[in-house]
Amino acid sequence: MTKENAKILVCDDSILARKSLTNLLNALGITNIIEAANGQAAVDLCIAEKPDVVFLDIIMPVKDGITATKEIMASCPQTKVIICSSVGTQTHLKEAIKAGAKDFLQKPVEGATLKQVIDHIF
Amino acid sequence: MNTDLVIENLLQATNFYSLDESNCDEFVKGYIQKLIQDVVVYVDSNITVGNIEFRDVYNVDHEISQEITGLPAAYSAVDGEIRALTAFAESYSKLGIAEYDEVCKEVLLDFLNLHNGLFIVYLSENNICELSLSVPKQNGKKSIQSPIEGKVTVVPINFSYGTVNFLLVELLKNTK
Repeated sequence: MTKENAKILVCDDSILARKSLTNLLNALGITNIIEAANGQAAVDLCIAEKPDVVFLDIIMPVKDGITATKEIMASCPQTKVIICSSVGTQTHLKEAIKAGAKDFLQKPVEGATLKQVIDHIF
Repeated sequence: MNTDLVIENLLQATNFYSLDESNCDEFVKGYIQKLIQDVVVYVDSNITVGNIEFRDVYNVDHEISQEITGLPAAYSAVDGEIRALTAFAESYSKLGIAEYDEVCKEVLLDFLNLHNGLFIVYLSENNICELSLSVPKQNGKKSIQSPIEGKVTVVPINFSYGTVNFLLVELLKNTK
């Protein structure tokens, strides 16, 4: 698997955050991107679409990112979850790792940081 | 000019350093400093900060809000005239926003969420306290009150296109 043919799910309730992350991923050569606006939609899309990587916000309506991570890990254990949030506190970092997330990106996400995470996965 | 110096000059030009400490504890002061930093870094450095006020009640016309949960707990909000809020959203997002529509409101929610998130990360990294955030939300006209008298802090930030008011309402204080 290369990053160019990977399927990526970007989940954030903010349209601006989804657009920003999608643009950064496009700049890295990743174009097969699907989007969700809350944690439940992300879980549903993971089961249906089996993405390789999911970028998940934490603070979201309907279902938060930590709960969604646990459910994604239970139903799609091959999927790698990267938490991408403005709330990178010690408590949230611990919760994210405990839930099964592979990495944590502090918002606002910068291209160089995202590239490091992507290079680490692929 | 570096960002720290810009922020310091902005704070010195307002009443920040003469705020009554009984009204404005370290939590509120830290919030105001981080707010100005985030506006300068992510929105516009060409701003001035109006007089910071403490009120019992604040009536908002177009409110965007988010709760900071934990101890201390607080309620944060953005308010202002539609023209100023719309221009602020465009300046922050560069999405071509020209109307106060759903996208504009979402962008305002995004900024509030970003700023509040960075503020609680600062508190966490400095081992001050561990807080979280609720999902940000949109409201229309609303009267905001604090259970603690005089604890609605209003920070007016003046841009070339108008003033945006940022509110911090203390709900629960950490008495430790």
